[in-house]
Amino acid sequence: MTGLLTRLNPLVLLAIGLTAALGSPAVRTLPIALAAVTTYVVFVVLTVPSWRYPALCLAVVLLPMASVAWSTWLLGGRDAEVAAVAGLRTFVLAWPGAVAAGYIDVARLGDYLAQSLRVPGRFAAALSAALQRVAGAWRTWHDLERSRRARALPRRPWSMAFALLVHTIRDATRTSIAMDARGFASAGRRTWAEPATWTRSDVSVLVTAVLLALLPTALHLISH
Amino acid sequence: MTIAFRDFSWTPVHGSRPVLDRLDLTVAPGERLLLVGPSGSGKSTALHAVAGALGTTLVGEASGSVEVEGRIGMVTQNPSSSIVADRVGRDVAFGPENLGLPRDEIWRRVDEALAAVGLPHDRDRFTSALSGGERHRLALAGALATRPDVLLLDEPTSMLDPVLAEATRDAVLRVVGGRSLVVVEHRFDLWLEHVDRVVVLDAGRVVFDGSVRDFRVAAVPEALWMPGRPVPVPVEVPADLVRPVEPITVSATDLVVDQVTRGLRGTERTRAVRGLTVELHPETLTAFVGPSGAGKSTALLALGGLIRPVSGRVDPPSEIGWCPQDPELGFVATSVRREIEATPHALDRAVDVDALLEAVGLAGRGDDHPYRLSGGEQRRLALAASAAHRPGLLLADEPTVGQDRGTWALVAGWLGSAARHGATVAVATHDPDLPRDRDVLLQAGEAVS
Repeated sequence: MTGLLTRLNPLVLLAIGLTAALGSPAVRTLPIALAAVTTYVVFVVLTVPSWRYPALCLAVVLLPMASVAWSTWLLGGRDAEVAAVAGLRTFVLAWPGAVAAGYIDVARLGDYLAQSLRVPGRFAAALSAALQRVAGAWRTWHDLERSRRARALPRRPWSMAFALLVHTIRDATRTSIAMDARGFASAGRRTWAEPATWTRSDVSVLVTAVLLALLPTALHLISH
Repeated sequence: MTIAFRDFSWTPVHGSRPVLDRLDLTVAPGERLLLVGPSGSGKSTALHAVAGALGTTLVGEASGSVEVEGRIGMVTQNPSSSIVADRVGRDVAFGPENLGLPRDEIWRRVDEALAAVGLPHDRDRFTSALSGGERHRLALAGALATRPDVLLLDEPTSMLDPVLAEATRDAVLRVVGGRSLVVVEHRFDLWLEHVDRVVVLDAGRVVFDGSVRDFRVAAVPEALWMPGRPVPVPVEVPADLVRPVEPITVSATDLVVDQVTRGLRGTERTRAVRGLTVELHPETLTAFVGPSGAGKSTALLALGGLIRPVSGRVDPPSEIGWCPQDPELGFVATSVRREIEATPHALDRAVDVDALLEAVGLAGRGDDHPYRLSGGEQRRLALAASAAHRPGLLLADEPTVGQDRGTWALVAGWLGSAARHGATVAVATHDPDLPRDRDVLLQAGEAVS
């Protein structure tokens, strides 16, 4: 566990998920599925800073994996191997992307989208600002939880979630006004305070992600 | 003209009356205007109209027109909502980026704006670790960095201690130069000598428009903090409404508290309180004072058991009253009446809601939604709702900030009455006029006296 994922630029992290999803349809046999899963697990274990978040992602992904495997078994001739392959394909489709997405520095996402991918500046800046507000929602959750605790009121998740939603919408209105008051509404050609640099690690991991995504296809071609 | 309101009215959606009522007002290029008025008189709405937010971001019915020439820069009342980046430098850079400036110029303006508002942190400081007062200064730096033609400031110094408030005002005046300036402020004495004109709004209408000299002798609403007027007499609250169920002493020893920003990419800890030892007694109103960012709010949270200290010892009571800086964060119900009933009902304790509403000037508003109240009304409701169960320990974070004299007298009266009738009361405040029994001066998280 090197924590390399935390040092990568947002586009590389997006690419990990995207390439894994694009490569997943080639997972068609059990040996290929096991090889793809093993390489992604090794890749993730080597690059994350801690096992907790990948384990949480796994717990979330297990449900669709089980659901897909079960329905494939039920409708696909009750073949255990076919069902297992379908489940593991879902793992390749979702898990690497879910893990990588968690480490995206949303504050820098706009920089990279606009400067590396030439996405329109206002859209990139708005997306980055919006995602940062989402990331900051846990602080509001904390404040709401604190107020309820102080008032001896039950901290029911759905009531807290509704309060968070209302607060977020009201806050978004105020943020929108504040952004427009700093020239956002009339921004034509937007510039960026920090460059979107690509380090050697970024390029290496991007190449690795592409190779990992091509692995099932390569194994498929070799086996035929 | 730079700004011209012509017969402009605005009624927000679900509003029963116009917030701005046939407003006629012009601001000339380079003019410095002070806009004042009681809570809910339409000051912030007027700024929103100039910024072009009415009818676009904010929904409602408008008539008449508002014309604006030049680029607008605005600092809104709630600085937390202005933050668009995770770090101080990038947040200030947002405006210059929108102007399409080259990178060197962006950072030159960022450093210049941060220095102008006296924010003592480097560019990489996490914005989430800033105090309320520091966020105000960050928002101001963000507006200054765009070098606007018209600068609109909604209570730019209300969260600052007097020394910093003056320094910030001077920074604004330096940067504004010959540009137009519209300042909304409740405690406006520090601006009076530096503006060309004063406009007083009341219930959405202009009730005074003239020079500073004429303003000083004009008959203006009683709620205004006119220089020379004595501090309002706090409104006494009946003992039955505030006498604590059980008096409580709270003591803290060597308390160390961190503000923590957690994320998958790492955790940032900012030491907010360092080794605080203090004892809070019944029948005493203690004011935690000191510069913004000194750890006042965090100290209150720790004393109430609402944040876990890193080390040290505190014995918070099981029942407390907590009135947060942002009243909306404390609201849990869909009507004013239910808001006040919530905690007493949860504790199976009787409460005289009508008497409480009367005490905080909200009689007749029991069926309204808390979000539909004005800023001052929300502040009073938040206090009544947090203290309706008559807790032994009552904590309030900046309870009088940005309030007119009427709300100030009610809030100060409540806190004072609670203390007089046996409660242990502590506030974090910049308000030198708020009556208190003792001060605890915090500096960089340490109690220095």
